[in-house]
Amino acid sequence: MSVRRETVDLSKADLDFLKKIVESGGEKILLCVQCGTCSGGCPAGRRTAYRTRQVVRRSLTGLKDSVLSSQDIWLCSTCYTCLERCPRGINVTDVILILRNLAVQAGFMLKSHKDVCTYLLRTGHAVPITDKYKALRKELKLPELPPTAHSYPDAVDEIRRIASKTGFDKLVGFEG
Amino acid sequence: MCEVTGCLSMGEDGRVGVFVCECGGNISNEVDVEAVCKAAQGWDGIIVAKSCPYLCSKPGLDLIQSLVKRHNLNRIVIAACTPRMHQATFARAMKNFGLNPFLLENVNLREQCSWSSSGGKDAATRKAISLVRGGVERVRHLEPLESSWLDVEQRFLIIGGGIAGITTALELANQGYQTYLVEREPSIGGHMAQFGKVFPTMDCAQCILTPRMVEVGRNPNIKLMTSTEVVSITGGPGKYHVKLFRKPRGVDPEKCTTCGACSKVCEVEVPNEFNMGLDKRKASYLMFPQSVPLVYTIDFGHCTKCGKCAKVCPRKAIDLQDEGKFVEVDVGAIIVATGFELIDLSKFEEYGLGVHKNVITALHLERLLSPFGPTGGYLRRPSDGGDVKKIAYVLCAGSRDLNRGVPYCSRVCCMYSMKQAQVILDAFLDTQVTLFYVDIRSFGRGFEEFYQRAQEKGVKFVRGRVSEIQEGDSDGRLIVRAEDTLLGVPVEDEFDLVVLCPALVPSQGTTQIAEKLSVPLGEDGFLMEKHPKLDPVNSLREAIYVGGCILGPKDIRDTVSEALGAAAKGSTFVKAGKIELSPEKASVNKELCNGCGDCAKICPFEAITVVDGRAVVDSLKCLGCGACVPECKVNALTLHNSTDQQLFGLIQGVLAEKTDAPVALAFLDYDIAYNAADLIGLARIKYPENVRIIRVPTTARLGKKHILYAFAMGADGMFLGDAHMGAGPLSKASKITEKRLTEISEALDNSGIDSLRLWFSAVYIPDFRKLASTFTNFVSTIAEMGAIDENVRRKILKEIGPTP
Repeated sequence: MSVRRETVDLSKADLDFLKKIVESGGEKILLCVQCGTCSGGCPAGRRTAYRTRQVVRRSLTGLKDSVLSSQDIWLCSTCYTCLERCPRGINVTDVILILRNLAVQAGFMLKSHKDVCTYLLRTGHAVPITDKYKALRKELKLPELPPTAHSYPDAVDEIRRIASKTGFDKLVGFEG
Repeated sequence: MCEVTGCLSMGEDGRVGVFVCECGGNISNEVDVEAVCKAAQGWDGIIVAKSCPYLCSKPGLDLIQSLVKRHNLNRIVIAACTPRMHQATFARAMKNFGLNPFLLENVNLREQCSWSSSGGKDAATRKAISLVRGGVERVRHLEPLESSWLDVEQRFLIIGGGIAGITTALELANQGYQTYLVEREPSIGGHMAQFGKVFPTMDCAQCILTPRMVEVGRNPNIKLMTSTEVVSITGGPGKYHVKLFRKPRGVDPEKCTTCGACSKVCEVEVPNEFNMGLDKRKASYLMFPQSVPLVYTIDFGHCTKCGKCAKVCPRKAIDLQDEGKFVEVDVGAIIVATGFELIDLSKFEEYGLGVHKNVITALHLERLLSPFGPTGGYLRRPSDGGDVKKIAYVLCAGSRDLNRGVPYCSRVCCMYSMKQAQVILDAFLDTQVTLFYVDIRSFGRGFEEFYQRAQEKGVKFVRGRVSEIQEGDSDGRLIVRAEDTLLGVPVEDEFDLVVLCPALVPSQGTTQIAEKLSVPLGEDGFLMEKHPKLDPVNSLREAIYVGGCILGPKDIRDTVSEALGAAAKGSTFVKAGKIELSPEKASVNKELCNGCGDCAKICPFEAITVVDGRAVVDSLKCLGCGACVPECKVNALTLHNSTDQQLFGLIQGVLAEKTDAPVALAFLDYDIAYNAADLIGLARIKYPENVRIIRVPTTARLGKKHILYAFAMGADGMFLGDAHMGAGPLSKASKITEKRLTEISEALDNSGIDSLRLWFSAVYIPDFRKLASTFTNFVSTIAEMGAIDENVRRKILKEIGPTP
């Protein structure tokens, strides 16, 4: 283990990052008193290294890279417990979603998330049908494929066109 | 002659001086005061217009005095902060200058202009010029008035028998005043009687409180009225008429010797409120052993009237037919000290108060630690009476909570939780106390030292607000989860007892009494002081003083200080012996009055009667709302200091400076809506500067012709704001305005003005933010409608005919 610990240089803090969060609908985080109600009651935090309060603190301090590059923001299960209990009425979960969007735009995205998106672009479904469910449908006397993109391959093309226009395909590394 | 209408006469002998205050930048940073002076110098009859850094200071008043002398001024316009702040200062100064104090107009350039204009300095300056112009046009028509005098009753009413009420009562009684102390519970003592030890001195609450309670009972100047509620309060400062109801208590206090025989035979058992429901009491009971008066009470809410108690009472003191009685008293001044209660934490499901038996509030714990409490002072678990070894405190339970609680800090929880922790650690070996806190606030004298002692004694401090409390698998032990924010990790521990420190909120009594007294509450629900810094124990009504937790959470020392302050203020008022009665009342011109009685019918205060075919105003009952004036068809009524001439002058003046943007006039009643508009400024909330506020005693002072006149003179919208029913002594008048709106709207429609240009809104002081956004919405609505056609204005002016 390293005995070194760097001092955080606050003059390098990125306050535009905070501004961006505020402007995207996270203005209430300015009211945070760091009481830890969110972290203490977080079901995801019970099992993982996710510390809601610290994400908010680092955001308020303007530590953009540390927030966006960390895995923490992806560990939230969006159960909204923190939002319900927060004494300052902060929409914590929404802030996490804002941070995820910013992270993705900055190029930080977990491989598993990319994979799910790739499924969507490939099949029209984030969770495509499997042989097991095809069989189950047959047994229930239903058509093997549901009346979704699975039955209409043209729709998948449309999804891909939207993805390519918005740049979503590149973001998730989908190569057709 | 007026250059705009040709119909308003100028004050013939008017020698007007205009003084514009910079307020040390509060005004001059946003308003170009020199431009205001320059504009004023160009107006007819203005002898001098000067600015000054602080008009209310001695140099400021000296400046006015020297110019009054040099130029022989006889009317003054002060453009400064709200008249609520310093009008009295300037009126006093007028007397010193040898001028009648009613020849003064105080224009509000701070709260209602510089602090609240959204459009930048030029726009704020334009608004300031318009407001000052309004003041100038009004000041020309002011009439010298003389006050009359009323003998002040040399008696006090004190509402609330907690430590604040007790302190005030003793203070006033010792000064020789007769004092009625009213308490709704059977004994005085309030919350303090429930406490064990008190911080930071750790002396016993009972030991310091009980002697004072006994003194109250003994003092011949104090008439103690327990089990008594205030029914109604009428009259005014100097002579408030109070109706009280002594609730049935079933026991004659003169005969009761507190032997307790009645209680022993009583078979009804109910939760004991004094012990927070931790044990039971009988329907015939003594609130607590040191009760004052030391008399049993029958709780008729639960009594079955079986009659056993009456049979065993050796003194025949019990009367189960007691129906209570009404008592009426006249007092010169009132002191209200109705205290606090704890917030209902049922919304905080994660704490499980009321679900987990071993989760209690700190007030429960006070009773558990009390030697005469439900456990005799032994700390036992409510669930099974078992030992308590580990205790957790949950601070900020509902305080500082914008989500489900109250936004403010309750001020006492940090200190009393450390106090309870130390009492527990001192008294019971092998106990552990953990305080879960957000910030420790130990700001008073000796408080930080107290915090240090708590640390030395081994109280554990965890910086983190408790996230949830759950019952463990076995025997009611509780698992508390929080984040130790300093370690940055979630923590969890098991406790026998969890003590919540709930937010302090205004007591029910506070809300009820505020309504009965028509004194406004603040945004937080506590009573509003006249001035938050300089008049902290005056309510917004004269001769009604307040102290203690009615003004917000505070500890005993602060409560007592305020109670002493309220006593001092009350005594100063009553001691003067006489009170000046405002001459701002309605009066009747007997020559013109035809005795129709319309004014008597509309008067909300029953101040007008018709005698020998002429209306007569009782100036003691008349509160000067002005509702009668527009009602008179023969113009026989006048409201002094708010005459038609003055109103028309003000309206014309405010609208004289033309702008491109549509102009909205806001007529606000002086007590409530005008006050709310001041609070908007105080909170630095902005609204468009084309809202020009005109103060009226109440909006009922306005009739159809005032509204039409204002539209004719250039207003594009009219906003009437008046007290929400019950929000102020004059609030009844706002109902009259509401009724008149239909007729006025019809008149507008007939004149070709969309009646949507006239808005009425009931205003409640705590909702001042809403008033600001209503202003903004109103202006944008009018802006969409555009300006009113000049031909329409001219036509209306012709139809109204010559104004007085």
